[in-house]
Amino acid sequence: MNAPFTKIISLIAIFFLFLIISVRAQYKEKNYGNTPDEVVPYGNFQDAYIKHFMEPYPFLGAGREKPEPRGLKTIRIGFLGPLEGSKDDAKGKQMLQGATLAMEQANAKGGFRGIPFELMPHNDVGLWGAAANEVVTMDDEGVWTILGSINDIVTHVAIRVALKCEIPVINIGDPDPTLTETGIPWVIRVISDDRQSSYALTNRMYKIDGHKRVSLLRTNSRYGRVGTGEFKDASRRMGFPVAVEVRFEDGDTDFTDQLNTIKKNNSDAVVLWGDAKELALIINQMRTMGLNQPVYTCDRAVSPEFLEIAGDNANGVITTSQYDPKANSLKLKKFQKAYKERYHMEPDVFAAHSYDGMSIAIESIEMAGLNRTLIRDLLTDMKTFQNYQGVTGEIVFDGSWNDIGQIFMVEIKDDDFNFSPFIMNDQTLTGSTK
Amino acid sequence: MKIQLHKQTSNVTVLILAILVTGLFSFSLPNKSISSETENPGNEKIIDKKAESMPIYGNWKSYTKKDGLPSDKIYCVRVDEDRVWAGTSQGLALLENGEWKVYTEEDGLAHRGVLSIDVSPVTGDLWIATMSGLNRFSGGKFDTYTQFNSGLANDVIYSVICDGKDVWVATGGGAGVLDTYTGKWGIYTDQNAPMHEPWTYNVCAGGGKIFIAAWGGGVIEWDKSTKRFRDYTDPDGEMEIDLFADDGLVHDITTAVSYDDDILWVATYFGLSRYDGNHWKGYFDHDSGLASNFINFVKADGPVAWLCTDDGLSSFNGETWVTYKNLGTNKSGNVIIDGNSERERILKATKSISHNFTIGVDFKDDEIWVATSKGLSRGEVVGQSDVKTSKL
Repeated sequence: MNAPFTKIISLIAIFFLFLIISVRAQYKEKNYGNTPDEVVPYGNFQDAYIKHFMEPYPFLGAGREKPEPRGLKTIRIGFLGPLEGSKDDAKGKQMLQGATLAMEQANAKGGFRGIPFELMPHNDVGLWGAAANEVVTMDDEGVWTILGSINDIVTHVAIRVALKCEIPVINIGDPDPTLTETGIPWVIRVISDDRQSSYALTNRMYKIDGHKRVSLLRTNSRYGRVGTGEFKDASRRMGFPVAVEVRFEDGDTDFTDQLNTIKKNNSDAVVLWGDAKELALIINQMRTMGLNQPVYTCDRAVSPEFLEIAGDNANGVITTSQYDPKANSLKLKKFQKAYKERYHMEPDVFAAHSYDGMSIAIESIEMAGLNRTLIRDLLTDMKTFQNYQGVTGEIVFDGSWNDIGQIFMVEIKDDDFNFSPFIMNDQTLTGSTK
Repeated sequence: MKIQLHKQTSNVTVLILAILVTGLFSFSLPNKSISSETENPGNEKIIDKKAESMPIYGNWKSYTKKDGLPSDKIYCVRVDEDRVWAGTSQGLALLENGEWKVYTEEDGLAHRGVLSIDVSPVTGDLWIATMSGLNRFSGGKFDTYTQFNSGLANDVIYSVICDGKDVWVATGGGAGVLDTYTGKWGIYTDQNAPMHEPWTYNVCAGGGKIFIAAWGGGVIEWDKSTKRFRDYTDPDGEMEIDLFADDGLVHDITTAVSYDDDILWVATYFGLSRYDGNHWKGYFDHDSGLASNFINFVKADGPVAWLCTDDGLSSFNGETWVTYKNLGTNKSGNVIIDGNSERERILKATKSISHNFTIGVDFKDDEIWVATSKGLSRGEVVGQSDVKTSKL
């Protein structure tokens, strides 16, 4: 066979080959969840056959035709959170207070057509899978939406039942990226997840601070496993795979074995993922053991408890936050003032997002009326509450109804948290408009 | 790492490879184009043999609250000889001798929300999965199993099946099995089975195995002879993509499993997977006749899988798709036939399923029962896929 003929046939065959592959492979184009190009899964090797969550799922079931009930004495909104018997009780309390404040303010303005809103709080801690049973109870109670929760297992369990019962869920405290990746068209989240935090941290660590060899010490819980998943993926795809990963149990106070492992590994930075108390204890022990590398943490370090326990060792720590509590926002200041007057304490991140979540829930009921499907439609239409200006800033939903709005880098200096908007190095955030 | 072709590769090799690969992709692609009935009035002439073997259902009749059901929202349906059981959001309903009888919590039902029903092949007892416990209905009496009085992992029971003397359940806190001879329970969670997550959504039996749809954890297989587990997950390990359509499960968020005719079918909210024991194949609404990627339930009946999606009821035998859709404006609908070797045909039907959001399906002889978001529908076989519109 002569060479030019073979080449022409080859080129034609290859052309058709790529045409066919491209027809099968190119489903959607842009990146999901503000993912930087270099961090797109398999992005260097293969375009995915299907990219999910580029557009929101519709809900095609029945329910919109249901008439509003008559004679209601209250308009119930469910609340699921760690209220008793959990290590997260303090967070749950703040979350409940934030929701309660928003509801009290709405009731002061007349409630829903003169009928007061009523909060139906449910503890998500109890028997195995308690959240599932609690959502069924809330369905029996006739709630119109549910707010909650913080714990990722609890929230996953809850949203599946909510899907069966067809109750809209507004998540206000669970940063698990997989929560809204379940494809359930009844769930929105109004707080940034650990995917966003991980992109911010990795950008800072590798691109700005120039680290190359990082150790990871995380809680041996699902929060630690799933939360660091995106961090590890991003690190690997940026060319700096996590050198060593060690774990601790929630409640641990001695981290000698784990820190010795890190010490042997000669890493130039350490990432910590867990609750504020353990993070602070680890840093204290690190410094005692002569581990003086820069420390980066998950957002739970943004807590007075962390500053109190870590003391001077807290200074220099870099972390992220889902909002800026010092932002020059009239709405935020008004909320903080009201919260302090009502509860005699500063609101934390869970209180603030819970306040926003409850405000959205109430607004959606006022607009849609007493019909869960219509409330869901408003919450997920990507218009009504897109770019919602809450006390935590602007909420920007992606195709999975996850909040991909602005998050903040936090540096601890002079025993205080210093917030600055996160700006992706070499890449513009699609969801950042604040 | 970048893959580069070796510079010394000959042109002939490239040509052979390109043609071979092109051929492979061509064979795997559905040869799909759309034609309407008016565009293709002689549509029955272009049907392959596989398409002819697909049953077509018509003469649909729908049941709602007006007919005696406690709710229009039907979660599941189970046919037991001459009796039809429907699980609704407001209780359990039985159609017998043309009359509906309703059972509620007042009768002993654990909860009004009935999510799944099965009949014991050993005793004939009815096992009922509710949102707040498991019921056995035997001799006109309900027995209730909960976390407090049994080995149930959680009170929200999404699925129940009877496999001989064993009753398997998929719950919000893990899978479980009750040996009805000994009364002993087994619980399977992420603590003692290869589940990435503790929650389960559906369970089925077949081929000497139990298959569990573990929400977020793919499919867990329990081999009854070896007493061992194994799991099937999406090989790409990512929630936001499916890297390749045919490399394994299309997604780890699995909603239902069904096994028959040596084929495992797996439903997800992101498409359908089919596993023949050697190869996986993925199907999506943009590249096949699947009505929607959002699949609530799957049930295999011989070589045909029935897919309850949020936008219609699809059936598929590995070659040909037949999808039933309600047109919404009245009771009429479309039957869409889509085979590998034929163009898509749309048959107009004067009656159809009561709603396109389908949740459950069961069969008896030539009858099909479909649970939907708004009503329960009964259809009957009116022919094979070369049926004339007038019969629908």
